Amino acid sequence: MARRVERKPVVAVGVTIVFFAWLYLPILAVALFSLNDKKSLSSFSGFSLRWYDDLVHNEALLDSLVASLQVAAAATLGSLVLGTMLALGLERIRGRRGNLIGAVTLLPLVTPEIVTGVAALLLFTGIGLKLSLTTVVLAEITFSIAYVTVIVRGRLAGIALEVEEAARDLGCTPFQAVRLVILPMLLPALLGAGLLVFALVFDDFVLAFFTTGVDPQPLPVRVYSSIRFGVSPAINAIGTLMLLASALLIVAALVLPRLLGRGTSSLDLITGGRR
Amino acid sequence: MAAPTAEATRRTAPRSAQRTRLWALLLALPTAWMMTFFVSSMVIVVLLSFGRTTNDGFPAFALRTDNYEALWNDVYLELFLRSLGYALATVAISLLIAYPVAYVIALHGGRYKNALIAAIVVPFFASYLIRMYAWKALLSDDGLVNSALRNLGLSDGITFLNTSYAVVGGLVYGFVVFMILPIYASLERLDTSLIEAGKDLYHGPVRTFFFVTVPATRAGLYGGILLVFLPALGDFVSAQLLGGAGTFMVGNLVQQQFMEGQNWPLGSALTVGMMTALTVLMVAYLRATSTQAREL
Repeated sequence: MARRVERKPVVAVGVTIVFFAWLYLPILAVALFSLNDKKSLSSFSGFSLRWYDDLVHNEALLDSLVASLQVAAAATLGSLVLGTMLALGLERIRGRRGNLIGAVTLLPLVTPEIVTGVAALLLFTGIGLKLSLTTVVLAEITFSIAYVTVIVRGRLAGIALEVEEAARDLGCTPFQAVRLVILPMLLPALLGAGLLVFALVFDDFVLAFFTTGVDPQPLPVRVYSSIRFGVSPAINAIGTLMLLASALLIVAALVLPRLLGRGTSSLDLITGGRR
Repeated sequence: MAAPTAEATRRTAPRSAQRTRLWALLLALPTAWMMTFFVSSMVIVVLLSFGRTTNDGFPAFALRTDNYEALWNDVYLELFLRSLGYALATVAISLLIAYPVAYVIALHGGRYKNALIAAIVVPFFASYLIRMYAWKALLSDDGLVNSALRNLGLSDGITFLNTSYAVVGGLVYGFVVFMILPIYASLERLDTSLIEAGKDLYHGPVRTFFFVTVPATRAGLYGGILLVFLPALGDFVSAQLLGGAGTFMVGNLVQQQFMEGQNWPLGSALTVGMMTALTVLMVAYLRATSTQAREL
């Protein structure tokens, strides 16, 4: 659609350019100084991979990395299953009960993470669960279900009810209609939601901070405790890797669903959908 | 004989009823999950906020209002007001940044629109912690900004960290995307002929902007304000990493009560206080948007 807006708003364009510089400058500085061969964070004296080499030999950090990957994978799987069930149920059950359940599942999205984290900590200690990676996974699933539900519901809304009716007319039981017809159509949305949740959980600090046990701690929790004591090139190195990993995951979450099918992608969730 | 009977009843049962049963079955597990892990955990926070700490230092349920009374003193009040001030400043600055950026991308982005939005989204969804750390590294006394200032002979170095500016700056950096996206979405949907008409009627881009464009994107504005305010008020990472004891927010106090001070009942009361403030805001938001829906 051709837009007929005459002049470029100069001030707004200026703000936008400055914004992008402001957005990327700190991140690029971290990446640049992770490759510095001296400990300085302000003068770049030479290219070196020594901080990355240190990382590879840091057992505790590697344990944390593995722990974070496990937590993210388990939470992604769990929230995909629960979130999809919820989306299917909510999309077809209308009325007051559906609205109430829908609202409750969206609550974690608008609750500050610190509140969710504190509440989860109280619940787990209250019922006598020892804090560990398992409790982190439970908390992260609870938090991530909403993302999956929103994305899958967005896609479901685009699938005509007639498709399901047709499957039923051809002899499918309701369950078969979902399994053989609806789920395959949801695949791009599930892929996008899965990648998004994996990235969010992998990077998540606040929930993990409140619900983790002592050893091994998820990567962001460990990184946080070293950041508190100051800035160092080693943190630059691990930070750069974390930024790269999540950037790749998010890009995949945005792009892959579009490649797989004309469905909605996670970007539509974020921007409120295409019209 | 049982199987055919079952088959027969299934055939005769109305299709919608069968479907409803399946959907209800699908809903059961996630609903139970949310009740167990989310709703009940919130209930525990509320209950414990009326609790007490036993003599050997363990939290216990009780029915007393001591924790809330303890909140009513100058130190905590100042902390609450400071958090509120920081969160409001964060919303205001985010608004000033987000509107022009969203406007330029939505109305002048052309075929680069999606790429530009992705360029904003990708770094924002990457580790919040690392992005806060990036600012800490940049602004620290021997960081890039200060060394640049020194090299240019402009100053002997400025202490950025441990100031309110650093904390609010961190919050804006952390959450401005939640302002950009809803405003962008509503600008995307905006019928540009409205702007044309406004220009015909009001003669001037500035008046058109404030009397046509801004009101037409109210939904996005309200959404953005809410989405920035909520996490900003509850944040503790920015104040922890970029600030100091003088810039602590409610989140820092909550974190201390739970992870360091070990006064969980007091921490719960603080959390409930924070949630109450946020709920009031949520309700205001919902009322504002539903009034708007009625007007349309």
